[in-house]
Amino acid sequence: MPFNVRDMIEKTGRISSTNQQYLAAGMFTILIMTIPLGAGAYPNTVMIEVAFYSIVTMGLIMLTGFTGQISLGHAALFGCGAYVSAILTTRYLVPPWPALFLAAGFTGAIAYAVGRAMFRLHGLILAGVTLALNLLFYYLIGSISGLTGGAMGIMNIPPLSVAGYTSQSVLFNYYLLWTIAILLLIFSLNLADSRFGRALRSINTHAGGSEEAAQVLGVNIMKYKVWVFVLSAVYASIAGSVYAHYTRIIEPNTFMLQFSALVALMAIIGGRSSPWGAFLGAGLIVSIRQLLREFMPLIIGGPTGSYELIAYGVILVVALLFLPQGLFPIVKKAILRRKPVSQ
Amino acid sequence: MDFSIALQIFLSGLNLGCIYTALGLGFFIVYNVTRVLNLAQGEFVMLGGMLTVSLYTAGTPLAAAIAISVVITSLVGAGIYRAVIYPARKAPGVTKVFLTLGCAFIIEGIALRVWGWEFRSLPAFFNTPTIKFWDATIFGQTPWVIGITLLMVIGLFLFFGRTIHGKALRACANEPLGAKTMGISIERMALFSFILAAGLGAVVGALITPLTMTSYSMGLPLTAKGLLAAFVGGITRAEGVILGGIIYGMIESITAGLIPGGYHGVIALAILIGILLIRRRGILVTAGKG
Amino acid sequence: MKDEIKQNNIPVLELNDITMRFGVLTVLNGVSFSVPEGNILVMIGPNGAGKSTLLKLISGLILPQKGDILYHGKRINGIAPDKITSLGITQLFQDIQLFSNMSVIENVMVGCHLRARTGLLSSGLRLPSGRVDERNMFDTAMTHLSMVGLEDKASSNPNSLSWGQQKLVGLARALATGSRLLLLDEPYSGLLTFEVNKLNNLILELKKKGITSLIVEHLTDILMGIADQVIVLDYGEKIADGTPSEVQKNKRVIEAYLGEQVTEE
Repeated sequence: MPFNVRDMIEKTGRISSTNQQYLAAGMFTILIMTIPLGAGAYPNTVMIEVAFYSIVTMGLIMLTGFTGQISLGHAALFGCGAYVSAILTTRYLVPPWPALFLAAGFTGAIAYAVGRAMFRLHGLILAGVTLALNLLFYYLIGSISGLTGGAMGIMNIPPLSVAGYTSQSVLFNYYLLWTIAILLLIFSLNLADSRFGRALRSINTHAGGSEEAAQVLGVNIMKYKVWVFVLSAVYASIAGSVYAHYTRIIEPNTFMLQFSALVALMAIIGGRSSPWGAFLGAGLIVSIRQLLREFMPLIIGGPTGSYELIAYGVILVVALLFLPQGLFPIVKKAILRRKPVSQ
Repeated sequence: MDFSIALQIFLSGLNLGCIYTALGLGFFIVYNVTRVLNLAQGEFVMLGGMLTVSLYTAGTPLAAAIAISVVITSLVGAGIYRAVIYPARKAPGVTKVFLTLGCAFIIEGIALRVWGWEFRSLPAFFNTPTIKFWDATIFGQTPWVIGITLLMVIGLFLFFGRTIHGKALRACANEPLGAKTMGISIERMALFSFILAAGLGAVVGALITPLTMTSYSMGLPLTAKGLLAAFVGGITRAEGVILGGIIYGMIESITAGLIPGGYHGVIALAILIGILLIRRRGILVTAGKG
Repeated sequence: MKDEIKQNNIPVLELNDITMRFGVLTVLNGVSFSVPEGNILVMIGPNGAGKSTLLKLISGLILPQKGDILYHGKRINGIAPDKITSLGITQLFQDIQLFSNMSVIENVMVGCHLRARTGLLSSGLRLPSGRVDERNMFDTAMTHLSMVGLEDKASSNPNSLSWGQQKLVGLARALATGSRLLLLDEPYSGLLTFEVNKLNNLILELKKKGITSLIVEHLTDILMGIADQVIVLDYGEKIADGTPSEVQKNKRVIEAYLGEQVTEE
């Protein structure tokens, strides 16, 4: 009998045959890597943004998908990675990549401490606390201006280089970002079908797990909830650090509550059951934003920011009312219908 | 410490405390009737402020401007319930919370479209920017804030405690099934709670505009703070919300007075979050259903 | 009866003066007993007599308000349930609670959770050590699934199984932990006759391996055959503790338990 657990699991309706997932990941990689060769600089720039959002959303999806807990404060984690990287590279002249790792470690450590305290709160209070923590971060950044540049932020952040090669070109950044995004995707997929992933699924009472049963089988609930929170924090931190090196200027307003809410929106729309949902959610929202920015000024005047906000709100409401599972299950069904299911 | 400084800090703390209390009460009302955290509560406050400013600068007398903006905002609250929460009434609580978030986005977007990015302000009621009270100088708005919050609290206590309607609302919160068998329509009560919370929020908005100005994006931070204050005291009890609000206001005022630099926002938030992490259900709530 | 000690071993489980009150309701009142290793202990008693609560106390899901629980002579009050599992105690619930968001074999693999230490990084990076662990857990899980005869259902979703099959999967999952003390809460309820026999045989097999089973049940006739020790609870108090035949002759038991049955008809 083949050892491969993945071969054993054929129809579960969620994380199914992982081999299929790897195949999909492979095809996805090929697709992503060839797009920029045909597209111009502008679409590629937009795609870079999608990558950023996808990474943060992916972390959030793992948190929400596995534990059912919501976080409305991921902007703070994103910002933490960005600021720590920026401070280390501008003030202390730490090279960017080590700074990124340090930032991730720092953010993860904070997430660990906060998580241990936070997860003893029940569901809705958690949403309130994450919201408050996000605000706290925002104020903190504004206050310790000696370190963080206050409302002005930090400038002249050095760019990232790969194997000694530095470039400001869109193409370079595109490949950099998407490589990171895809690597993290694979990490997430690996995680899902592993001892860690099973433990998480077993405690997810919102999706068929059972905390009691998991505990008597030896699963330490608190530990896993905290670790998945730390993981989502690290994802956000990585995205934040790369963001700092990409835009080379950061300031507090980027890391406000609206960003957290937006990422939460992407997670919900994309589908909380799978890391793939991150790309769907991010892609959809960014596309809509682009459309609005192009066309709304032509049709009706007014600050484009307003139409985006309205659109996001409407999409969130509509999605929750009619598509609570998000887009991913639908897309998955559509794709699987084309391929014959191997029994 | 100088008496006048202490008095100043105290009054300022009371002022802030009343604002947070009033914010928290909005959450309290909706949460206890519907078990939903209304993340659009801050938007109600923003709307109250913005509408009042627009009407007032267009020539409407202040009192009328406030009254009209309260009515409009209440309608918005009703709209949110009817169009969004009611259709989703069978959905899990988390979904409904995110639905209110979606509504917050929509309101914020519309506000941006209508009023733009600028901050708007109102003169203090009675047109007195500052008042001398004993040895302390306080904002002229402060007596209004404290006075109206007090009225609100008393009014709510009377309402929930004495009137049939109020008792019905409490029944819905504590015993939905029982309330139904008594012929109380939960949906009506829920609608009413949204309207009430929206109206209260609008009043708060009008009250604080002379102090802090309004802008389209102030909704979410207010939501965060008001929610925190309510949770810290214990969102299931009115006394808890009031306590949480006052504590938050006092801590913020004390840290502002004693610690130089702009750190008071951070420290106050941190302290409050700390309290919540320790007393997980809020200070006044003992174990039981949260 | 309390002093029965097998060979030279301390009893695997000992409860001393366990008392639990929920509000005004006294669910357990001064319950004490000890269980020699390898025994099949059956706990019977009318509904609401506190039996399920007792199991949850032992597995650590509830904290005793008064009294001690000793496992191999060591006090385990207040230890977290997952730690208690690592000490060798596991529970099968009345409603089984299989994880419906994963396949049957994955369910059993969760039972193998404590047999490996693959962490976050080795899982995510698919390190070789992680893959070896996965293979081992898979093999162990399959072995246990075969023990209950359901290896062909490995990739099915638990919801597609019959109640009896789900029970057996639950048992396989519990056994996969390698626990030496099994707490079974009404394992026979809802089973068909052939399934009941299967379960019986399994429990006897386990006894041969030295595994202690503590079974809470209603159906007394079936279990009298395999039980080494029977404890009867009534209104939270222990009213009998001995071999099946001793208990069946016990006057208080007849009054409380069988007497009630007579009046119900």
